[in-house]
Amino acid sequence: MTTVQTPRKEESQTGTVRKRLTPTQKIAIRKVLAHAFLIGFIILVLVPFIMVISASFRKGNFAPSELIPDKISLEHWKFVLGIPYQEVVNPATGETRIVKAATPPLLWFWNSIKVSFIASAGIIFLSGSAAYGFARLYFKFRSATLGTLLILQMFPMVLALVAFYVILDFTGQYIPWLGLNTQPGLIMIYLGGISSYIWMIKGYFETIPPSMEESARIDGATQFQTFIRILLPISAPIFAVVFILAFIGYMSEYPVASVVLQSSDNWTLAVGANSFLYEQEKLWGRFSALAVLSGVPITVIFLLCQRFIVGGLVSGGVKE
Amino acid sequence: MTKGSPLSLVIVALVALPALYLDFVLYQAGTGWIALIFLIIIALFVFVYLSPSAYTFRYLFPGLFGFALFVIFPLLYTVLISFTKYSSQNLLPLERVISLLRQETFSTGGSTFQYKLFKQSDTQYILYLQDEKDPARRFASDPFDLTVSTGSHAISLLDPQPLQPLPPGQQPPGQPLEMPQVTRAKLFIPMRGRQFVLPDDKLVSMEGLQKFSTRDRLWILNPDRTLTNRKDGTIIRPDFRTGFFVNEKGQRYGVGFRVFSGFENYMRIVTDPRIQGPFVRIFVWTVTFSALSVLSSFGVGVLIAVILEWKEVRFRGIYRTLLILPYAVPAVLSILIFKGLFNQEFGAVNEFLRAMFHFAPEWETNPWGARVMLLLVNVWLGYPYMMLISTGMLQSIPVTIYEASAIDGSNPLKDFYHITLPLIIPPLLPILISSFAFNFNNFNLIYLLTAGGPKMVGGGIAGETDLLVNYTFNIAFRDSGTNYGLASAVATLLFIIVGTLAWINLRMSGRRI
Repeated sequence: MTTVQTPRKEESQTGTVRKRLTPTQKIAIRKVLAHAFLIGFIILVLVPFIMVISASFRKGNFAPSELIPDKISLEHWKFVLGIPYQEVVNPATGETRIVKAATPPLLWFWNSIKVSFIASAGIIFLSGSAAYGFARLYFKFRSATLGTLLILQMFPMVLALVAFYVILDFTGQYIPWLGLNTQPGLIMIYLGGISSYIWMIKGYFETIPPSMEESARIDGATQFQTFIRILLPISAPIFAVVFILAFIGYMSEYPVASVVLQSSDNWTLAVGANSFLYEQEKLWGRFSALAVLSGVPITVIFLLCQRFIVGGLVSGGVKE
Repeated sequence: MTKGSPLSLVIVALVALPALYLDFVLYQAGTGWIALIFLIIIALFVFVYLSPSAYTFRYLFPGLFGFALFVIFPLLYTVLISFTKYSSQNLLPLERVISLLRQETFSTGGSTFQYKLFKQSDTQYILYLQDEKDPARRFASDPFDLTVSTGSHAISLLDPQPLQPLPPGQQPPGQPLEMPQVTRAKLFIPMRGRQFVLPDDKLVSMEGLQKFSTRDRLWILNPDRTLTNRKDGTIIRPDFRTGFFVNEKGQRYGVGFRVFSGFENYMRIVTDPRIQGPFVRIFVWTVTFSALSVLSSFGVGVLIAVILEWKEVRFRGIYRTLLILPYAVPAVLSILIFKGLFNQEFGAVNEFLRAMFHFAPEWETNPWGARVMLLLVNVWLGYPYMMLISTGMLQSIPVTIYEASAIDGSNPLKDFYHITLPLIIPPLLPILISSFAFNFNNFNLIYLLTAGGPKMVGGGIAGETDLLVNYTFNIAFRDSGTNYGLASAVATLLFIIVGTLAWINLRMSGRRI
């Protein structure tokens, strides 16, 4: 820092800052500034996460506010994992009770994984085959249909809740496992959100020259075979991207899940995590433990697949 | 598979046959129209997957079908509801309201019956009646469920149970219950709420503990859908403007029913000051919030991306990974974490500000504090995405341009404004617009962070930080709201706004689709 400040002082006296600095000095200043800025920003990014980890180990249910917990306790982790633990009810008499979650919160995480995984797999199937139709086959109103898909998808899911309720209420009368308060019902509704993924996959398909498929056709492969055997394997990266994006999106979906799933053993992570934060009683400790437990694996998966995702975002979104 | 191989035939049959059976069940359950539409869909499915001429659509059918059911149908349904009066006051369809009114009875002093309950299973019973004056008149019901329902109104919503005459000498199956068993609350309470209907359309229900007596329906249904009161001759008719049954003086009877109301809901948004006032304010805030969110997260994202592209900076890989974190963590969790950090009294943010600057903003109770907090959190959530996509664009700018400008004596700031921004903004514009549209409907952030609060003074269920989509949700689902009609009208307007944005976006980006 000292090397940076000395030239500055000279400038403030003369008033002609930049011209006096040698190019190497300029670059040095800029480098320091760049590092300082990035580190400052990273602190802003990391502090909330560190505080949540700390709150999950802190005794009592306090809002995340300390970097290192003052009184360490594993009670929240035990609660979240469904392990019974002793809690002092009355400090004066030393009376204790055993606390155990009625529905282990870990179950919500598992429910979320199940729902998101199946829904994302379904999305891959639906949007992948549709994208093939749009990219490789020709039919009337092709571009009009594509445009319509994109525009209609702008209707927010939250506002369709009344209709979703009606649909699931109806299906539940005839197929009980597909009605309200069922995870298959929720998955079914999630499968509607395919159009942006169709666009992404279609954009990727179009970057692949059709010549390979054409020569396979000449060798006697059917259209379906060229799709399954040639196009799909080449397009694996975009499917990975779509899967991860869809998966993360569904892990975070709150409003529809909160209306469809009513009983707590069916809840997804988002609904369950929010249930700890009632207006009257906010159980920050339990929430933090659940957040850390479920946030970490997803974050790690995302970071591992980072390269794919960035490539997919750029190719699918920006391609002209 | 093109020419209908045996395998494809089997697969089509495996899907179509259960579907046809389901359709048959639907038809039997009396949902004729839905069964018909379902049948058409099945036929379409078979045609698409077996006819070579529909080959293209084999790839599109599953996706488009799901889209039609879960996007297009809800959309049309919402638009339809927006033209009706449909709220907690006008909840049921007209037919249900008529049948509810028709369940109202008055005592006629007609026949009285002795009764017995025949137990069939744990919850199923048959009611047996014998006329006190004419013991040959005996009736029995079909087995019916008798359990205490939790809601008291649920009982009155049950349709009367039909009774059939019992041929002489025949007894209903099962064991008759003894009187003490019948009078237990578990049976007696649901029994008291039940009505039964004789073959001559007279209703019977319990009178006291020991007897059933005939009661006449209070209202006679006339062919023109009016109802006549048999006690005093009043005629009430459905008023399709208010959605209630009224007499000549305009007095309301019974519960309301859903009615077509044309543009009434839309007119309310424009003219009713209680809705129009909050609507305009919320609209302005929604636009401001979306625009500021996009601009600031794009600004931060580009800035970081540019710095990270500078080859002289070391540890760029680590920086980038750490800076993506807010995008990688599920947003629901991050939002709730911030709810804790921004807690007005005990939150980390205010503790820090108090310690450093003796200053503690009211993030929860002051509208401006809440708005600033939302924007800060949204930038934190949104900049990594902007950073990722601008990185992609930056990498496609040839280095030679910067080298040339360096020879002309440029500096990084000038480069940024004169080369970088002009080069990356046009191709990123579609993404910026769709990001605007996303934030326009960013329900989760508001709902989980502030729940719309603080409340708007004189705005009813509107909150100062509500976006239009949250406001709509409040009108439809919050306790004091439940006005589905009005909510659907706002939703339709919202869709028009965002749909137009998407259309413009498509026009700008898609020279070729």
